Amino acid sequence: MINFILRRLAAIFLVLLIVSALVFFLMNAVPGGPFSLGERGYTPDALANLERKYGLDKPVWERYLNFLTSALQLDFGSSFSVVGNPPVTTVIARTWPVTLHVGLYTIIVAFGFGFILGLIAAYYRNSIIDNIVTLFATAGTTVPNFIVATWLLLIFGYQIGWGQPNKWIIPPVLGAGNAILSWDYFLPVITYALLPMGLVARYTRASVAEALNADYVRTARAKGLGERGIMLRHVLRNALIPMITVLLPQIPNLLTGSLFIEVAYGINGLGKFFVTSITNKDYPMIMGLVLLIAFFWSLTYLLTDVLYVVIDPRIRVGGRGGAI
Amino acid sequence: MTLRRLAAALLIALCAISVVPLFAQDGNVDVYGRALPADAAPYDMQVWRAICDSTRTEVSFSAVVSVYSRTCLDANISDLFSDSLVVLDENLNLIPAAAESWSVSEDGLTWTFRLQDGLMWDDGTPVTANDYLASYRFMADPANAYDFVWMWQGIIAGWSEAVAGEIAPEEIGMAALDDRTLAVTTEGPAPYLPGTLFFWPPLQAKALAERGPGYLLNPETSVSAGPFKLVEFVPGEYFVLAANENYTGYRKPFLREIRAVYGDQLNGSFLAFQNYDIERVNYTNLSPADFEIIAADPVLSANYRPTFGDFRTDYLLFDTYNPPFNDRRVRLAFAKALDRESIVKNVVGEQFAMPAYSFLAPGFPASDTEGALKGIQEYDCPAAQQLLADAGYPGGAGFPPQELKLRGESEARANWFVAAAASISSCLGVQITVNNMEFSAYMSALLARPTQIQFGAVSYGMDYLDPSNMLGVWVSTGRHSWRNEAFDNLVREANVFVGDPAQRIAMYQDAERILVEDVGGIFLLHRIQGDLFQPYIAGDCFRPDNQGVGAWHWGNDWCWGTFYVTNDVMNYPTYRTR
Amino acid sequence: MNGAITLRQPVERRKQRTLLGDAIRRFRRNALAMIGLLILFFLFFLALFADVIAPFPPDRADFGAVRVLPFTHPTYPLGTDAVGRDYLSRLIYGARTSMTVGLLVPLIGFSVGITLGALAGYLGGMVDFVVQRLVEIFTAVPPLLIALFLLSVTGSGLFNIIFVLSLTAWIEPTRLTRAQFLTVREKEFITSARALGATDGRLILTHVLPNILTPLLVAFTFAVPQAIFAEAGLSFLGLGITEPTASWGKMVGNSVGSTIRVFYHLALFPTILVALTMLGFSFVGDGLQEALDPTRSR
Repeated sequence: MINFILRRLAAIFLVLLIVSALVFFLMNAVPGGPFSLGERGYTPDALANLERKYGLDKPVWERYLNFLTSALQLDFGSSFSVVGNPPVTTVIARTWPVTLHVGLYTIIVAFGFGFILGLIAAYYRNSIIDNIVTLFATAGTTVPNFIVATWLLLIFGYQIGWGQPNKWIIPPVLGAGNAILSWDYFLPVITYALLPMGLVARYTRASVAEALNADYVRTARAKGLGERGIMLRHVLRNALIPMITVLLPQIPNLLTGSLFIEVAYGINGLGKFFVTSITNKDYPMIMGLVLLIAFFWSLTYLLTDVLYVVIDPRIRVGGRGGAI
Repeated sequence: MTLRRLAAALLIALCAISVVPLFAQDGNVDVYGRALPADAAPYDMQVWRAICDSTRTEVSFSAVVSVYSRTCLDANISDLFSDSLVVLDENLNLIPAAAESWSVSEDGLTWTFRLQDGLMWDDGTPVTANDYLASYRFMADPANAYDFVWMWQGIIAGWSEAVAGEIAPEEIGMAALDDRTLAVTTEGPAPYLPGTLFFWPPLQAKALAERGPGYLLNPETSVSAGPFKLVEFVPGEYFVLAANENYTGYRKPFLREIRAVYGDQLNGSFLAFQNYDIERVNYTNLSPADFEIIAADPVLSANYRPTFGDFRTDYLLFDTYNPPFNDRRVRLAFAKALDRESIVKNVVGEQFAMPAYSFLAPGFPASDTEGALKGIQEYDCPAAQQLLADAGYPGGAGFPPQELKLRGESEARANWFVAAAASISSCLGVQITVNNMEFSAYMSALLARPTQIQFGAVSYGMDYLDPSNMLGVWVSTGRHSWRNEAFDNLVREANVFVGDPAQRIAMYQDAERILVEDVGGIFLLHRIQGDLFQPYIAGDCFRPDNQGVGAWHWGNDWCWGTFYVTNDVMNYPTYRTR
Repeated sequence: MNGAITLRQPVERRKQRTLLGDAIRRFRRNALAMIGLLILFFLFFLALFADVIAPFPPDRADFGAVRVLPFTHPTYPLGTDAVGRDYLSRLIYGARTSMTVGLLVPLIGFSVGITLGALAGYLGGMVDFVVQRLVEIFTAVPPLLIALFLLSVTGSGLFNIIFVLSLTAWIEPTRLTRAQFLTVREKEFITSARALGATDGRLILTHVLPNILTPLLVAFTFAVPQAIFAEAGLSFLGLGITEPTASWGKMVGNSVGSTIRVFYHLALFPTILVALTMLGFSFVGDGLQEALDPTRSR
């Protein structure tokens, strides 16, 4: 097991290397730069000055090698788009905790409610309860969250002025200085949780329903085990594999935030940078975030494989010979 | 407790209740000891709040460091830490700001600006001509790669050479003759030069030398010679500006504080406004649906204040160097197939635009106020069809399908051009799709030579109030792929023309006629801009201009010195105390 | 010899027929599944015969009737959009774009994903290693960056949209299939089937794939609306569907801010259609799961 994990960690390093090269050349091939070209066109001198200032006057491969050497020392350069040009690591350290905060609540809400809804739907499958859950999951997935956010802000902020009178309702402005538990998180978390909640509910329902139908549940029932005992012992365990596969990656997904949620609710988080660093051509930020994401997700995939084995010890994930 | 004592206590309580507001009114003075206007709310409530766009690149509070990446650009909360030399009044005349007067030498080449007496930085040092000099040198320095260098290329002596790195920034044609006198030398006569200097409140030379332009971003190191000073700044979250009590300039604010929060400026501003969370929304952040709500509400519509803004014109452009648009008949056919009146009336809304038949919006110097150019590109579908047939595409047959490319427009504006495309294609039988591209992808494609945009749409608004600015963008070295030598010559000649101003204007008018006749572009509409203010915001800023319009006009940076919150604010659920 | 063959074949055929027949019978008895199927047929019908059904061409702009609210205008029952185009017609034509993107992208993603996942999960070893690394790489490279790059190279078009979206659409099915192969591979019935001499390919087709159907069906129902909305996101960058072509995702995406308070129809109707699409797939998926479950016999 240890051996397997060590080998996978080495593989993550390989992935980071490939991803960094791919993204570095890709982002440099995209037209435009971290500076505005202005309205009127530009003289070659002015363009040359801009490129020199942003270090773009050297060939791409040379810049990539420079990036690689400093990245190995965990220096990803300074952001072009954040005021004051702080180092990328500083921006991440400042904004990620806020996003983690929102993301964590979202995970609790989405997984908690989604799981319960899914279990209920599976247990009462093909009944009206099941259909209501399906409808709910569909609505949560297909009503875009910018519409949900607008309505929530309208109802809670504008129409009934719900919330604290001594505070801005729109936007609440969630930053690093906010309290850990605050009603300000309510609207963003509700908006953010709708889609993953539907996802969790539907996967739980599907897996549990299938497991409930399976032969051995009948066997267990025939043996006279209590209904609750059946649910817990056999059903959940068997339903876990596809759920882990799909739902575990929701955790890095939610913990890295969303542009829309953060902009709409005035959250000074990391999530918006995954889009704005690309649209603003903030090259150092793009690289820092892509490597962060690659590392985070690869770890999650590794964790998924480890969990397979924990749940079902017969599974071998290291290849036919069996690494575990 | 006796009855007497109770009565006394009640009396005291009653007095306290009635006296406190009276006292507050009497003592309603700002940090400069001035009494606030009679209808002003208590000074404690003189707070201005705004939403800044949290998705943009931001570099500085000052236009000297970057024009396009200033903080909170659409909410106009930048450049408040010092004063530019000149500013525009409500009729767009140049008036003194930090400079009390200016004059030009007889050869028209050297301008001298005399600074007001007693201008101070809040660290106690005087504002000198050297601060302005250092700021302009900073902009010319190639190491700083300033994003607006074009402004003085070919105008200020040595500017282009400094930008190219051929001479040092210290060698540009600017000098501080003494602490209060700044001299500017131009390459040729440039009658519009003072107008180009209004955007740029200077940095402090000393702080710039010691700490670089970043000194502005930190409340500890920030110094101000402007109406406000930086108190708190958390990038991406909020910043707080407070009235600068040491300010001695021309726009002393009644406002005690400006609070700016980062969020969804585009889609959240109107919602926040209706929640009384912000004081103003610019028209660019108002959607057609918002305007529907405004129109249905008498209070809101009374407080929407339209202005010509920066005289912005939206138009279609071509690659005229290559077929099919190298044929003037094709371009004119497209122009005459565009039903501007109907689009402006129905799709855009007459209160937000007027149909354009030329580039310069009415009211801009040299603009076609008599409508002499109107007939050239005016909607005339049969004539347009005939022109296209003459060009070899009868009924649009054989005409290559076109993609009208847009420059990252908002949905509302993109729809203007979708309507334009629908109008042209339904008249001419030409297939036109509309592609709203990402902003920088569009600009790179447009500015590439040869250009990658065969048929596109874009807008342009002034940087200074002179035709050399607006028409200069059409000179063949500019951003368009359209060349007309007569036009180039006329504009270049007029730019440096010293003499009868009327004659200079006539030259620009001739040039614009060429532009319209040769169909360098198809002019769709002149925007009417505007701002929505809370009903409890007042100020001399809203005094009517010579057209009777009271609004926050473009370039009226002095407005910050006039805004205040009226007593009316008590009628709204709004939070503005600390 | 001959006798044996003639004896065996009818038996096998009958057995297959009854299995499939059972499934179809079970599916048809499932009212919700049939409703789902009906919804999908209806939407396909809209997409296929848009030019016949729609009262107006999708690009016909009536400047005299801009932003008409639904149920207020005799000519335009569902109102018009910001340019005066009949919204009903645009919804019908939008089915074409959105069903193309919403189906093609998941189909491509799932074909590639199931193949790769099956190979990785079943063969393991080096194949698994490479597929896993590909999954990690494609998770990390931002599609937005690829989209902007493509925009500058090829310009806009439906093909680009499908290409960019497909680049990530295969990841989830790959991981799901692989995970199922890992579990199923070691189950008793597979081991015994292998002991009886079944080939790998036959094993995969007959024993493993039916068992991974459930999570894949759910994944598919989520992939459809995701593709429809992702198309809108890319179209806003200028990569995808250009105006005046209608697409549900773009119609919803246009309705930001107060639009939903005033011109509510602009977002409401296309959202309902996307939801219907997903609901149709969900119901059919659930029905299929129940129907194909050989242990059930209702």
